[in-house]
Amino acid sequence: MSPEGLAFAPVLLPLLGAAIVFLAKAFFRGRGAVIAEYTGVFTGLYLPWLALIFLFPVVINGSAVTGVIGHWNSGVGISYRFDGLAWMVNVLGYTLGGAAWLHSLSSGPKGPSFSAIFLIQTAALGAAIMTADLFNLFVSLEVLGISSYILVSSSEKPGAALASFSYLMVSSTAMVFFLLGLFGLYRITGSLSYEGIAAGSGHLEGNTLATAVISLSLLVGAIAIRVAVMPLYGWLPDAHALAPHAVSAVLSGVLIKTPLFALSRILILFPIGKEAGQLMSYAGAATALLAVIIALSQKDAKRLLAYHSISQIGYIVCTWGAAVAVGIGTKAGTLLMAAAFLHALFHAVFKGLLFLSIGSSVDAAGERDVYKLRGAVSILKRSGDKAAIAFFGFLVGALSISAIPPFNGFTSKTAMTYLLKYYGQSGTVLYWMLTVAGAGTAASFIKLSRIYWPGKDEAYRDLPDRKGALAVLPASVSILFLSLLCIAGGIFTPLIFRTVTALLSGSPLSMGEGFSFFSAGNLMKSLYTAGAGIFVFLLATGRRGGALLTKVRERPRSFQGLFVSYALAAAAMAGWLLYHAFL
Amino acid sequence: MIERLLLFLLFLLGFWGILAKHNIIKKIISLNLINSAVVILFVLEGSRIGNKAPILEEGIAGIVDPVPQALMLTAIVIGVCVTALSLALAYRLYKAAGTFNIEDIRKEVSRK
Repeated sequence: MSPEGLAFAPVLLPLLGAAIVFLAKAFFRGRGAVIAEYTGVFTGLYLPWLALIFLFPVVINGSAVTGVIGHWNSGVGISYRFDGLAWMVNVLGYTLGGAAWLHSLSSGPKGPSFSAIFLIQTAALGAAIMTADLFNLFVSLEVLGISSYILVSSSEKPGAALASFSYLMVSSTAMVFFLLGLFGLYRITGSLSYEGIAAGSGHLEGNTLATAVISLSLLVGAIAIRVAVMPLYGWLPDAHALAPHAVSAVLSGVLIKTPLFALSRILILFPIGKEAGQLMSYAGAATALLAVIIALSQKDAKRLLAYHSISQIGYIVCTWGAAVAVGIGTKAGTLLMAAAFLHALFHAVFKGLLFLSIGSSVDAAGERDVYKLRGAVSILKRSGDKAAIAFFGFLVGALSISAIPPFNGFTSKTAMTYLLKYYGQSGTVLYWMLTVAGAGTAASFIKLSRIYWPGKDEAYRDLPDRKGALAVLPASVSILFLSLLCIAGGIFTPLIFRTVTALLSGSPLSMGEGFSFFSAGNLMKSLYTAGAGIFVFLLATGRRGGALLTKVRERPRSFQGLFVSYALAAAAMAGWLLYHAFL
Repeated sequence: MIERLLLFLLFLLGFWGILAKHNIIKKIISLNLINSAVVILFVLEGSRIGNKAPILEEGIAGIVDPVPQALMLTAIVIGVCVTALSLALAYRLYKAAGTFNIEDIRKEVSRK
């Protein structure tokens, strides 16, 4: 097949798979339905890997498959661009999507409806990252959104329906503003394809420049909601905490990052886009730090993980924003962008792993409170997970996110902080903010690990023996697979980093002369951070720390707050850009 | 100009409804209002260069810009999907909490 045909496989195969699954639901019963469903899922989630393997030689030297869908002329048709960035985001999505679906066979929700929506969501991810047309991006984001609202509410808990509703309202409202921004840009440039917009927005001044700037901030604001940067994070904790485990893993691992990387395609069209990247970078650093404090205060195990997703996306946004600010085409920009993507990939793996293993553990115990649940290892063993693989998975994930060598979080965080300090604007401040956030991360995972400590086991001694009732094999396979990726990712980081830079710029780059991920300095830094983590943990469990954190946890949150923060963030972005455009 | 002013008022009305109304059905209706305001804005913009239907035959001139209309057909379809889904969620919330008031639902849900 030609590269043009293959480039659509990551979007079309999941849709085909979803169609097969729906057919299975409509026409088959019993065994036939299951076989047809699995065929559909195999087609949609695992077959695209073949296309990605064949596309690798095409994109590795920095070239891209571009064109207009259906060979319409470019003013009318939808343009697309499948390049190294699209390839990488697809790899991220399919790695975690495949593992998470496997876990759902153990932990639920099962059934053709779930599988079909899951596949549609995967297709929308592929479409969002390879489109080069603003309106098509709007459609992809809406499909992505609608499928994720359904997946969040597929949990039985009533809280999940409320979380899904809040997410739907704030996100749909923001998408209306996205349309307004799109309207502004169409009016100025008369085009919707990225190329056309770039060509039409070369020399803007006066009123048209102001319109372009305001339109751009509306687009950025709407996408920032999906990415859950501070202050737009309000919808995420409930949605991610109350969704089924497999869905939480994909939402945290993949869904919040794809719009971010799709946004970088828009920001490079405008000279003012660099300033937008700079502001996002500062917001990202603040997010990393603030979210980790809130995470430390949580008592629900999955909500704690959800706040860590916000904190980790803060790291990514901070580095990504710095890359946009120095210019993606430059060497510094490529390195920063590669580090941001590296952390996005590694975070997808370890956060997926954490959600799946914590999910297995809290399901086995029937208790999610970090302060109450103890002795989860023996509970796991009694529930059928003989080797306590979920505990092993948690351990690998927790060491990764706390940046302990040689796990993958260590290398990606080292790359980000090092490059930010070296190339970023006010990089030293960002470096320290991220480092302090790292200590907080270590502290809150010490806190979370207490659910596995032996002790007050009596409360759970008379749990019903659920051996066999819970088919743990698929869950264990997916947890082991992701654990392996965490370790391999850490050890092979130099190779992966060079590949990522080659995919982004066409030629492999390394971090710098004489830089080594596993140098004595970097290892010592990780030791200090872990030590600081223990100190923060002791502070937080002390009397005063505990009282303060309770206040943080019980801070008032409201539906209106979501909208107010959106309005403030979009206004701040517009103000910042107008200031830099005219002064 | 008066059309744009009216659209702006419609948009503000919808935004106010989403923010200030406690009833979730009213919130959903308000979401539809702001969506419609933007749809009409696009169609209005397309008619700046002409007002004939965009069917290309001989002797027809002064047609509207067809691109915004095509876009808005898609946007309307998406709006319908979002509305249907949000009404389904509203129904589930009503079954769980016995009320449409978002504050009461939040209290009820966090109590459970």
